[in-house]
Amino acid sequence: SWESSQTESTTTNTKMLGYIWHYFYSSFLRYIQKWLIRQVTGTCELQRICSGYQPGAARTTRAEYSLRSSKSKVLRGALETSKDNLGQSVDQVMKEKSIKPEKDPQFKERFHICLLQITGYGSLYASVEDLRTVTFSSDNPKHEAMLFKLWDLLMPAVKLESRITKQWGDIGFQGDDPKTDFRGMGLLGLINLVFFSENYTMEAQQVLSHANHPKLGYSYAIVGINLTEMAYSLLKSGALKPHFYNTVQGWPELQHFHQLYCYLAYEFDKFWVAEEPESIMHFNQYREKFHNIVKAHLQDPDVSLTLTVSSGN
Amino acid sequence: MEKCSDPPAPRVKKPHTDVSPVASQGLLSILRKLKSTPDQEVRILLLGLDNGGKTTLLKQLASEDISHITPTQGFNIKSVQSQGFKLNVWDIGGQRKIRPYWRNYFENTDVLIYVIDSADRKRFEETGQELAELLDEEKLSGVPVLVFANKQDLLTAAPASEIAEGLNLHTIRDRMWQIQSCSALTGEGIQEGMNWVCKSVNSKKK
Repeated sequence: SWESSQTESTTTNTKMLGYIWHYFYSSFLRYIQKWLIRQVTGTCELQRICSGYQPGAARTTRAEYSLRSSKSKVLRGALETSKDNLGQSVDQVMKEKSIKPEKDPQFKERFHICLLQITGYGSLYASVEDLRTVTFSSDNPKHEAMLFKLWDLLMPAVKLESRITKQWGDIGFQGDDPKTDFRGMGLLGLINLVFFSENYTMEAQQVLSHANHPKLGYSYAIVGINLTEMAYSLLKSGALKPHFYNTVQGWPELQHFHQLYCYLAYEFDKFWVAEEPESIMHFNQYREKFHNIVKAHLQDPDVSLTLTVSSGN
Repeated sequence: MEKCSDPPAPRVKKPHTDVSPVASQGLLSILRKLKSTPDQEVRILLLGLDNGGKTTLLKQLASEDISHITPTQGFNIKSVQSQGFKLNVWDIGGQRKIRPYWRNYFENTDVLIYVIDSADRKRFEETGQELAELLDEEKLSGVPVLVFANKQDLLTAAPASEIAEGLNLHTIRDRMWQIQSCSALTGEGIQEGMNWVCKSVNSKKK
C-alpha cells in the first residue's frame, strides 16, 4: 500500500508539474524555443508548419493557432482578411517574418492556401447564416419553384394535385403546406433538401423509401430540416474546421456545406435503418447518438465527411 | 428512460415538527433531510397541432435560444424549477402522423397544456376536434387543462375569448380549465399561464 500511495502522489505531482509546465510553455518557453530554433534553422514557425506538415487540417490548424497566438499585429490581423486582400496579407506576413521566397520557394503558395481555408471558413458561416435567416415565402416565385422541384425530383412518377395538399406528407412534411416546416432553418433547409435530391437523386429516393417504411419510417423532409440544423450548429461551433481543411484546398463555397449536408442525410438514414428504433417517437435519442458519432469523427485530424456511394445499390 | 412520479404518494411535504422532536434528531440529520427533500415533481403534457408553438414555449420556459427551432420528430422533454415545483414538461410532436402516439404519454399527467396557433383560423376546427378527443380520454379525466392562445404577436391572431367560445370551453364541467393568450416568441403571457398551472396543482392536492 505504501507503493500505491507513492504512485498516487507521483501522479498528482506529475499533473501539477504538467499544469505549471503548460503555463510556462505557452507564455514564456514557447517564445524562447521558437527563437532558438529560428537561430539554428533560419526558419520561423509558420515556415516549419508549412514545410513540416501535410496539407489539410494537420497544417492549417497549426498555422491558425500560430497566427492566433502571435504577438505580431500583422499576423493576427491576417486572420481577419477579406478574400480580395488575401494576397496582400500573405506578402505582409512574409515581410514581417523576413521570409525570403528565394530561400523557401514553396512557402508563399502553401501559406496562401492555409489563409484561404482559415478565413474562408468564417465567410462560409456568414453565407450559410444569410440563407438560414431568409424565411420561406409562398409569395416568392423562386421559393415556390424550389419546392415544386423538390417534389419532382423525389416523386417523378406522381403529379402534385395542388399547391396545398396532403400529398406533401408523402415526402415527409408535417401538414398540407410545407411552408411552416422550415421554421428556424429558413431557406437553408429547403436548399439542402433540393441539393441532395438533385445531386444524389438515386440516393435521395432510396433514403425516402426507407423513410416511408410503415414500421421503421420517419418523416423524410422534417428529419432533413433537422439535419440541416445539425450541420449548421457544427459549422457555427467551429467543429467542422478539420473537415473543410481536409476536403477543400482553398476557399470553401456554399456547395461544400451542402455536400456535408448530403453526407449527414445519407449516413443518418443508414444509421437509423441499422439501429431499428422502436418507433419514430425515439427520434431525438437516436439523433443524439448519431450526433455524437459525427462529433467523434471530427476529433480525428484526418477526418473527411464525404458521401461515398456504395456500389450495387 | 420515462420516469413517472408515483401518483398517490404524499405530494405535500409534512411539517418536520410532527415527525419527531428536533432534539432527538440532531441538527445535521435535519439539514440532510431538508436538503434531500426534492421539489415536488409535476408532470406536464404539452400538446396541440404541428406549428402551434409547443417547442418554442418549452424552450422559453427553459430560457433557451428559440431561433433555431425545427419541427419536432418524436418528443422533447425538459425540467424547469418554478415556485417550489419541478416541472417535467413533455413536448410531443403535433404532426397528424404521430398524434396516435400521444396516448402513450397520458399516464400520471398532472396538467395538460394545449397550445393553439391563434392566427391559423383554417385549422381551428381541427384543433378543436383534437382537444375534444383529449378531454374524452379516460387517462386524462379530471386533469386540469390550460389552453394557450399562442402567437398573439401576429396581427391576424384571434383573441382568446373568441377561441374559448369556438372550443366551447365554457361547457367543461369535469375539470379546472383556463385559457391564456400568449406569445411564445416574445414570452408574453407565459408566466401568467404557468402561475395558473402551479395553482391548479396545489389546489388539486389539497
